[in-house]
Amino acid sequence: MAKEIIDGQTMTRALTRITYEIIERNKGIEDLVLVGIKTRGVFVAHRIESRLKQLENINIPVAELDITPYRDDQTHEEKDISKVKTEPLNIDINNKHVILTDDVLYTGRTIRAAMDALMSAGRPKKISLAVLVDRGHRELPIRADFVGKNIPTSQKEKIKVSMKEIDGEDKIEIE
Amino acid sequence: MKRYLILEDGTVFPGEGFGSSIITTGQLVISNNRTGIEQSVTDPDAEGQILAFTIPSVGNSGINRDFYESINSQCKGVVIGSSSRSTVDGSISFEDWITSLKIPGIKNVDVRALAKHIAEHGEMKASIMDTHDEHAIDQIKALVLPPDLVKRVSTRQSYPNPNMGLKIVIVDLGLKYSILRQLSYRDCNSIIVNYNSTVEEIEDLHPDGIIYSNGPGDPKDLPRTIKNIQILQKKYPLLGIGLGSLLIALANECQIVKLAHPHHESSLAVKEVASGKIDFVNHNHSYTLDQKYIGSSDFIVTNVCVADGTIEGIRHEFLPIMGVLFEPEAAPGPTDGYYVFDEFIDLIESVKQQEGVRSQWS
Repeated sequence: MAKEIIDGQTMTRALTRITYEIIERNKGIEDLVLVGIKTRGVFVAHRIESRLKQLENINIPVAELDITPYRDDQTHEEKDISKVKTEPLNIDINNKHVILTDDVLYTGRTIRAAMDALMSAGRPKKISLAVLVDRGHRELPIRADFVGKNIPTSQKEKIKVSMKEIDGEDKIEIE
Repeated sequence: MKRYLILEDGTVFPGEGFGSSIITTGQLVISNNRTGIEQSVTDPDAEGQILAFTIPSVGNSGINRDFYESINSQCKGVVIGSSSRSTVDGSISFEDWITSLKIPGIKNVDVRALAKHIAEHGEMKASIMDTHDEHAIDQIKALVLPPDLVKRVSTRQSYPNPNMGLKIVIVDLGLKYSILRQLSYRDCNSIIVNYNSTVEEIEDLHPDGIIYSNGPGDPKDLPRTIKNIQILQKKYPLLGIGLGSLLIALANECQIVKLAHPHHESSLAVKEVASGKIDFVNHNHSYTLDQKYIGSSDFIVTNVCVADGTIEGIRHEFLPIMGVLFEPEAAPGPTDGYYVFDEFIDLIESVKQQEGVRSQWS
């Protein structure tokens, strides 16, 4: 049975806090670019962007990243990049500070794939990572710079993030 | 017994005395609180103040003595329209309660006219007296309000409020007990110290974070506390509440202004700038940060009052410092603001985590 562990209000607060921390640790937000990992990472990116706009009155570019072709859990035939359509990033990330956003950080493999995709699209000055939930069990040397909530889990459990834009409401459940 | 409320500008409001029969003087504050009168009267912020309640009838639901915000009331006097003799659950009536606290009161005053007068002419000193001759008015004009309000309400001796969580040092500028209640609810291990405690004394307590509490009076009367903030803010996460936030602002060369219409109301809407969320919270402040200087300062505005655009919340751009001008602990008023304490704890946790990462990686 799914159990709600974070409600909409707490999620909103976590996103606001991440925004404050981004401002705090970057000593200003020039050169910043937000890149959301499809699907929910994109909504996370947009929510951070709208908060930055309200607080600092600056428009930060937001891009969507589809990492399907870079995933390492596919066989070689599936991985034939020529067969997969990749959407190019619609913004310039050269010499920018890229903040990658995703909903859940788990093994770190998605993030590795995302970094591959970013590297093939340009040469960012720096890449940081912001996630709503860090659930542990990393399989790669990757960590998040901005974490909404650390939720210790067992590998048998599932974390489900719902966001208003696609699921109708904001919540995080565990089952 | 006929008594008079005399204002600094010579205006006289006649009424009937109750409570203590002493002559009293203080800063007149118009409070629009509907409920939680117990909390307003026992709030240390009321030190040196005569509270005028605009609600037509005070104490309709009795007086609940579990709702104290300090052990002894510091309020100098109360002004009301009328009060109810109602004693719910056998509790004490408003007038009997004020008498037991030895506070002078005056009733049957046209409080709406009084509120309008203050709104037009600004906050002023006032006195509750038995006469209203020239001499009395001259006296109130000549009265100088004491500049050491915080000294009178701050704890002289440090004391603990033990628990098992984060170690929080609270600098008592006129601390309301509800702040401690909120910290206890979050398992914080708090120690409350005098407003003039030295940097060494505070550092010796090894805090995870420091709270500068609410309090009465003019922030500029506390230069030593401001100096301490300048040193401590580089090492510890800070939360300012009310007066505490104003001191944090002054410590960072941010100017403050007196509000044309001071906020003394238990339910006034405040908007969180980042998310657009609206919260109804308790206000009790006459000063705020000056809009003109905020742009060039290191602060960002996190909350604004919906009614008049007053700055209600700030956050430092580079240091883990946050402050609110409203009272997140409520008491009286709605509890929407409680999240400020969660935010402060999140702030401390994230600073700790960053420090952990730094020591791991270096």
